[in-house]
Order: sequence, then C-alpha cells, then structure tokens
Amino acid sequence: MAGPSPSPHKPRRKAAAKRAGGNHDSSSSRPITADAHIMKPSFPLAAFLWPARGTTSQWELLPLILMAVGLFRWAAGLWGYSGFEKPPMFGDYEAQRHWMEITTQLPVSQWYFHDLPWWGLDYPPLTAYHSWLCGKIGSLIDPSWFALYTSRGSNDQTLKIFMRGTVVVSEYLIYIPAVVVFVRRFSRLSGVANWTASVALVAILMQPATILIDHVHFQYNTVMLGFVLASMSSMLAGRYLWSAVFFVAALGFKQMALYYAFSVFAYLLGNCLFPRVNVARFIGIATVTAISFAILILPLVLGTFSDVRRGIDARPDLDGPHPPLPLFPWIVNYMDTEAFYYPIVEQMVQMVHRVFPFARGLFEDKVANFWCALNLVVKLKQYPSELLQRAALVATLASIIPPNLILFFRPNKLLLPLAFATTAWGFFLFSYQVHEKSVLLPLMPMTVLLAGKHGLGKDMRAWVGFANLLGCWTMFPLLQRVELRVPYAVLTLLWAYLVGLPPTSLSAYFADGSSLWAQWGTALVHGAFYLAMGMWHVLEMFLKPPADKPDLWVVANVGVGAVGFSLCYLWCLGKLVVESDILPRSWVGKKGKSKTL
Amino acid sequence: MAEFYPSLAQCAIVAAAFKILLFPAYKSTDFEVHRNWLAITNSLPLWEWYYEQTSEWTLDYPPFFAYFEWVMSQVAKLADPHMLRVYNVEYDSWQTIYFQRFTVILTELLLVYALQMFEDSSHGASKRRARAAAISILLSPGLLIIDHIHFQYNGCMYGVLIASLVLARKKSTLLLSGLVFAALLCMKHIYLYLAPAYFVFLLRTYCLSPKSIFKIQFLNCVKLGAGIGAIFGIAFGPFAIKGQIPQILSRLFPFSRGLCHAYWAPNVWAIYSFIDRVLIVLAPRIGLSVKADSLQSVTRGLVGDTSFAVLPDIAPRVCFGLTLLFQTIPLLKLFFQPTWDNFLGAVTLCGYASFLFGWHVHEKAILLVIIPFSLIAVKDRRYLGAFRPLAVAGHVSLFPLLFTPAEFPIKTVYTIFWLVLFLIAFDHLAPASNRTRLFIFDRLSTLYITVSIPLILYCSLVHGIVFGKSYEFLPLMFTSSYSAVGVVGSWVGFLVVYFT
Repeated sequence: MAGPSPSPHKPRRKAAAKRAGGNHDSSSSRPITADAHIMKPSFPLAAFLWPARGTTSQWELLPLILMAVGLFRWAAGLWGYSGFEKPPMFGDYEAQRHWMEITTQLPVSQWYFHDLPWWGLDYPPLTAYHSWLCGKIGSLIDPSWFALYTSRGSNDQTLKIFMRGTVVVSEYLIYIPAVVVFVRRFSRLSGVANWTASVALVAILMQPATILIDHVHFQYNTVMLGFVLASMSSMLAGRYLWSAVFFVAALGFKQMALYYAFSVFAYLLGNCLFPRVNVARFIGIATVTAISFAILILPLVLGTFSDVRRGIDARPDLDGPHPPLPLFPWIVNYMDTEAFYYPIVEQMVQMVHRVFPFARGLFEDKVANFWCALNLVVKLKQYPSELLQRAALVATLASIIPPNLILFFRPNKLLLPLAFATTAWGFFLFSYQVHEKSVLLPLMPMTVLLAGKHGLGKDMRAWVGFANLLGCWTMFPLLQRVELRVPYAVLTLLWAYLVGLPPTSLSAYFADGSSLWAQWGTALVHGAFYLAMGMWHVLEMFLKPPADKPDLWVVANVGVGAVGFSLCYLWCLGKLVVESDILPRSWVGKKGKSKTL
Repeated sequence: MAEFYPSLAQCAIVAAAFKILLFPAYKSTDFEVHRNWLAITNSLPLWEWYYEQTSEWTLDYPPFFAYFEWVMSQVAKLADPHMLRVYNVEYDSWQTIYFQRFTVILTELLLVYALQMFEDSSHGASKRRARAAAISILLSPGLLIIDHIHFQYNGCMYGVLIASLVLARKKSTLLLSGLVFAALLCMKHIYLYLAPAYFVFLLRTYCLSPKSIFKIQFLNCVKLGAGIGAIFGIAFGPFAIKGQIPQILSRLFPFSRGLCHAYWAPNVWAIYSFIDRVLIVLAPRIGLSVKADSLQSVTRGLVGDTSFAVLPDIAPRVCFGLTLLFQTIPLLKLFFQPTWDNFLGAVTLCGYASFLFGWHVHEKAILLVIIPFSLIAVKDRRYLGAFRPLAVAGHVSLFPLLFTPAEFPIKTVYTIFWLVLFLIAFDHLAPASNRTRLFIFDRLSTLYITVSIPLILYCSLVHGIVFGKSYEFLPLMFTSSYSAVGVVGSWVGFLVVYFT
C-alpha cells in the first residue's frame, strides 16, 4: 500500500489494546496460550481471524484478506449485470460501456454532446478519462467491443469479463488502498489494536452493498468512494492539501461526492480557524483546490481547443448559428459567440448541465427517502416543482447544518466518519433526484466506524449492521429486476453472519454497560425492522400484489426504508453530539438519541 | 479445554456462500454426464441402467452411485422434471443448474461430518493440527475446482473415505471402517487404488491376532467377509441376477483407452512423454530412429491414444506391474508395523503409486493422494516438507481443467490463497521432527514453488500473446511436466519420510 503511514512494523501498542472496546480485542498484545481458554470470539468474523492474533504479521494477513475479498467480488461478478439482455435501453452496464465507446471513438469536444438520449455522458470529466483509458485497453483486446454505434447493447461474454475486470482493478487501485490506509490510521487514532483493526477491515471490505452495486449490478462507485476515503485519511494524517486534491478527484469522478462536500468544507475551514486562525493553511487549501479543478478540466479544455483548430464541430448534427446555451442562456449576452474561448464556455456549461440534471423531478424512481415516503401520504405531484425544489433545499440544509456546525467548531479527526455519515444521510433523505444506489454514500462513512473506538462493540455493530442490511434491502427491487436474488441473498446473509447480526444471530444486542432502556429500545426497534424486512421478502416472493396496486411491494419497501434510514440519521447525529462533547457532561449520561440541537 | 477458532462449521458456512456464488460459473461435460444419469436412473427400470446409450455419457460408475443418483432424482422431479428425460440431451435450465450445483454443496456435508470425526478422534496437542488439516481439506482448491466449477461429487465421496480412515483409528470400529470402504468402492471404483492398503491393514489388525501373525481371528474374518459380501451383494446383486455383470464391468473398466489421458496427468508417463517429445528433436543428431507413423499423432499434442516416437511404447501390463510393485513396498512396512499413522502413509503411497504409474490416469485423481496426505501432513516438519511440492504441483496441474477466462482469476487466486494460508499455518503448527532431515529437500521445494509463478504467467498470459492459438499443447505440456516433477519429487520425499 502506498500510504505514507508511520512504520507498519512497529510493535503492537500495548496501551492501546487495553482501551479498545469489546470483549474480544484486548488480547492481541498478550501471548495466546495464557488466556485463550477464557477469551472467545464474539462473532464469526473474529473467529476467522482468531488464529492471526498476536504473532501473525500484518504483511501475511493483509494479502490473504485482499485475496479473499477479491474472490468474493469476482465470484459475485459471474452473475448478470443491470440491463443484461433487456433491450431497448439495457442498463448501467451499457451506459458505462457506451462511454468507453464514445470517449475512444469521438473527438473530446463531442463527448458531452453525442447522441444524448442513448446514455449520453452525464458524469464529470474524470469518469470520462477513466472510460477512455478502459476503452483504449479494451480495444486492444477486441476493437469491436467499443466500435461506434455497432457495439450498442453488446452482450459479448468476454466483454463482460473485461468490464468486470476494470471494476475490480479500479477498486484495487483506489478504493482498497484507501480503505486499508484509512482503517490503519483511524484505528491507531482511536487506540484500537492491530488485530481488531484487521477484523474491521474485512467487515468493511465485505460490505454487501458496494459489492452488489459495483460488481454485480455494475458501476464504479468504489472509485469515487475510494477518493473520498483517501481524502478522509489525509485529514486524519493532517495532510490537508492532499485531502483537497483527493476530494476534487472524487467530485470529478462522480458528482454524487457532493453529499460529503459540506463536511469536507466544514472540517477544512474549521481547521483553519480553530484552535487559532491559520491564514496560510486556508490560502494553501484554496489554491490547491483551484489548481486541482483546473487540472481536472484541462484535458477537456485542451481537447476542445485542438478540435476547434482542426475544424471539428462539437455538435456536427446541428447546422447554422450556435444554439442557445443550456442552464445559463444569459451568458451569451456578455460574450461573443465567435470568440476563441466560446467553445470552452459552451463545453463547460454543457458539462455542468449534463452532470446536474436540474430539470428533472423531485425523485425519479421509488427510493427510500423522505420525499418518496411522503408521497405515499401526500401526492406531491400537485405542487409546483419550484416549491418542491425549494422545500427540498430547505429540508436538506436543515438536516445537514447541525452535523457540519459541530464539525466546524470541533474539527476533531475522530468525528470525521460520523459527521460525513450524518451529512450524507441528510442529503440522501431530503435532497432531490436521489437514486436508491446513493445509499452507498452514507453507508461508507458509517461502515468505517467499525474501525474506530468500540467499533466492534455490540452497539456499533448493531447500528452499522442495521444501516447496511436495510440499505441492501432497499436495493432489492433494483437487483431482482435482473434476477440477482441469489447473489443478494448470499452476500447480505454472509455479511450478517460474519458480523453476527440478525437474521443469523442476536449477539449484537443487549450490550453490557449501556442502560437497560437503551438496550431494549435498540433491540426492539431493530427487531421490528428485521421482522418487517423478512416478512416483506416472504410476501414479495409468494404473493402477487393486487392488480390495482402493482407497485405495492416496492412502495412498502420505500416506506420502511425511509423510516429506518431516518433512524440511522438520528443515531449518527446523536452519536456525533455525544462524541463531540459539546453538551454539558450531565446530559451525556442518557442516550443522545433524540435530536437535541 | 482450550477451544480453537474458526470451527469447521463456520468455515463450511462461508465456503458454502462462496460456492453458491459460483453457480453460474463454467461447467464441464461432467454436468451433463450427471444430468444424464439422473435421467437414466429416474426414468428407466434398474435392468436398463447399464445398457442405456442415448447420450454418449453412459453410466460408468458402480451401482451405489447409480442409487445415489436415483435418490437425488426423486427430489429433482420437484425442481424441473424436464431434466429427467433421457432424450433431453444437454438440457440446462436454470432450475437444473441450481439443483445440481446445490446437491454438490449439500452432499459435501458428509465431508464436513467426516472431518469433524477426524478432529474429534485427535487428542491433546494434535487436535489443533487436526483442525487445521481438516479445514485445509474442506477448503481444498482441488475440490472447489473439480466439484463446484467443473462439476463432480468428489466432496461427498472423499467424506466417506475420510470417515472410513478415521474409523480405522479405533480398534472397536475397524470392522465398520472396512465396510464403509467397501461401500465407497461400490460408489466409485477409482478407490480400488487404495484398496491394497485397506486389505493389508485390516488383515493384520483385524483378521490376524495382534500378538502373532500366525494366529487367525476366525470370527473377525467371517464378520468382515460376510459384511463386505453383503455390501457388494446389495450393490451388484440385482444386476447379477440378470447376468449383467460383464456389461457393468465393461462400462467400469474401459481398457480400450490410451496410456495418457487427453491432457496428461502429471505422472511418470507425462515425464516419459515429455522426454519423447524432446528426443524427437534430438534423435537425428544422436542417431536414434524416429518412428514416422507416430509423429503424426505426436505433433497434434492433444492425443488420447499416445504412441511414442523414440522411446518404446508402454503396455498396460507394465503400468500394472509398476503400480503393484510400488504399492507393495510400503505395504510391507504396514504389515509389520500396523499403526494408524503408517496406515495413512500407506494409503497415501498407494495413491501415489497408482497415480504415478497407472494406465489412463486422470489428473483429477491427484486428490487421491492429496487428501489422505493432508491428514498427516502436519504430523511433523518432515511430512510437511514432502507435502509442500505436492500441494503446489497437484493443484497447479488442475488448472487446465478450467480454461475459460472468467474462471481464471478464481482458480489462480483461490489456489494461491489456499497455498499461502495453509503453508504458513502448517509451518506454524508442525512440530520439529526428532529425526534429522536427510537431504536438501526444503531448498529444492522452495525453488520448485518459485518456478510455478513464471510458469502460470507463461501458460495463462505470455503464451497467448506470443503464439496466439497455435502450439496450444505447449502450455499443457509444460504444466503437466512441471507438476509431474513436483508429484514425483514429493513421492520420493515421502517415501524417505515413511521408511525412516
């Protein structure tokens, strides 16, 4: 791993092990034989890594972990992908393949304009460059995979293997190193023993939602998530400039990273102001961010220039004068459409227009967020879309301001995952144009909590597990459309089993030490949700929904999911409030589960 | 009593999850073979099972396996009755795939149970090692590649074998061990290769008095004989009534096949063929004559019926003689020191001898050596030293079974994962031996293991880029010759360990 972490061969930190939570992780610094008969692993994943306690070197363990999680990824990839043999539009797989086709076959200036109804490019430039690279490599193997027009909707089996390969390789180059480095830094900061951190690492890497979406359904979310994690781990290491660079890369790969932008901003700004004002740092971060953005769009700009010089039109399908710009038609009033820089402006506006589809509705598909759930009660279509957009904006802001204010005033490294998770939950629940796959964004920072203090303790496992399993469950309608029930069931149940969660085990509940009230509360609430999810699967499997309500099961899924995710939001926020010590001591005794700000 | 983790059950659960994910993976013609047998046993009367030949994949396993297929076919009806029609050749609806793949996972529970028996039969310090060995067998890449991707039911049958081996550990269950093994023979006759070790061991410990080899325990002989007779009677009796035994035997032992299988199993004959190939180039220079008629088949590379261009041809009798010779040598020691450890060693060596010198050996038969050997591999460091090259060679030699690109990462990464995990674990667990090691075996085996990396790279990547589709036999030849060297080396190493 390229991470510049402090010497990995340091002897185990004895003091750290004592402080770490959970009854399973405090023995790694002691010889095994002495007390092995008293200790026992409290969930199966800990049992699998049990023999590696103590003496086993990280450098023996890490390759094994990476191989094992890689095997599950590849095996999951043997199943179908989204849109497999589903004409006319196919699915996300076709979108990604199509982008490889257009980026390798068309001049740069046409990328964001080419035949938009057929999966027009609508991700930021880094995705385009990534597609170009993958497309170039793929064309070496078989040029017909990415031939212009004729390759559309290809279901070539070797192409599928190549595409799966690009996902795995991209993930192993970006996401996995980022996770490894982040887990190492975060666990050290939290005083967690190495062995425990390895357990958490496996739990994070086996997270079913990312495997299902990226390796089965087909997308490259882990690249973006990896950049975000790299940005977070740079924050942990105090390398703020790198953190800005990585975050720009994340944004440049997938605009969805904006879910985290507020937290990145709050943390970096907070670090420039507290405990004392540091102007140089601020200017440095601002400059590096600007330069990174410039580098990000540079290939696009240069390509457009070169195309203009060679007389290639960005929109060869149109004749006559320049068509009006989307989004900001007034720009034309301030500049000359024949000026040398106009094509660049046109490119940029088009890119922004493609990347941020302001024109679409509040929500597109059924997704388990607040609006879709509210729509079950109040038909939102009757309201004008401007009002809805404004409502979405206000609600989103209201939900994300509290966590980010905390992070801004208390820019504490250990709060990062919680603040990121809370903010992303806020966006997921209240912003508009949310996709069910976006649940990966709040899940990522929430899952890495496992590597933190008490990360593998009962309470944390229960909540992180609950969020993940609920997240997978809300994606089930998406997956079952292309017959992916089996990998869904296998990966989800396997993870639940490994981490010791319902429906395989109740061991994550009734933690020692917390109040009886909180124990029962968590157990009952989670129990009710797990029961609902199980019942839902039974109903969905054996009963057809009534003829007049064909979407009944999906709607029920959305409703339950939205409530569950709201609980996750509140839990993250509550935990953040408690951990940040902004409340008077006397309050903290009771569980900060309610929104107390 | 200290507990060890992870438990076998935990490993079995995670492994099962992985195996279910492999459902859509490549499946060989063996999948169709077993579907056809399901159809034959389900839709035809018993007497026609061994005569039916609509499909080219006729029933060529002994009757217990046919009964086993019949039992499964009763459940298959519920999954998809179409798979049970004999004329539905190459039928593979998703229900059929799910059903057949699932039966492999389910019947493998027998292996888990047998391994648990093995672990429970070990005590004290060796219990921990037994757990490690048991997990290594459960997660064996051989079983994963052959059973769960290529498609066969080895897991279940090796479960029976291990159960029988474990039963031989205690005096009170010796009879049962013999009977279980007899039943196994009636399931798959490949285990006949191990039968000599059973014969000698049971003869010495059960039929003869432990005090003197000249005192016969008649009652035990009767029990064992009657039991084995009954089992064979149940298996073959119904067919014997109708006089079908010659037909069954002709199905079970098709002697018309060649010395080497289409793809050479990594045994002595692979090395022999390799030398022959090399001599074709060298022969004119050193004045040896080349048989012109066999050149034709030699250059095709992938031949079933091998004839040699320079070296003398091998007759089945030679194979048989050599096999018997190299089985007898370890059995002599077993006869005079009939301990359980020697028994396992003798079983392993019988497997080795028949794999290395047998006629028309299939590369899958390497499990016949690896699995019994795994049970004693962690006994001490000398055993481990002999096991190491076998573990590498045996599994690498299975790679050509899967040639589709989608399964390439699975077979390689899984095998490397297994090798790294268990070679490290065994290394931690195996106690030092009280005997000094005789030769520089460890150095050689490290060198040998290292060579596997460029070999795999060449066979899977470089060859395709350099030669494309031509010379397809080259990677196969290299793989099998390389593996043959490893298997032979580990055999020699183990012989030394066994006899000293």
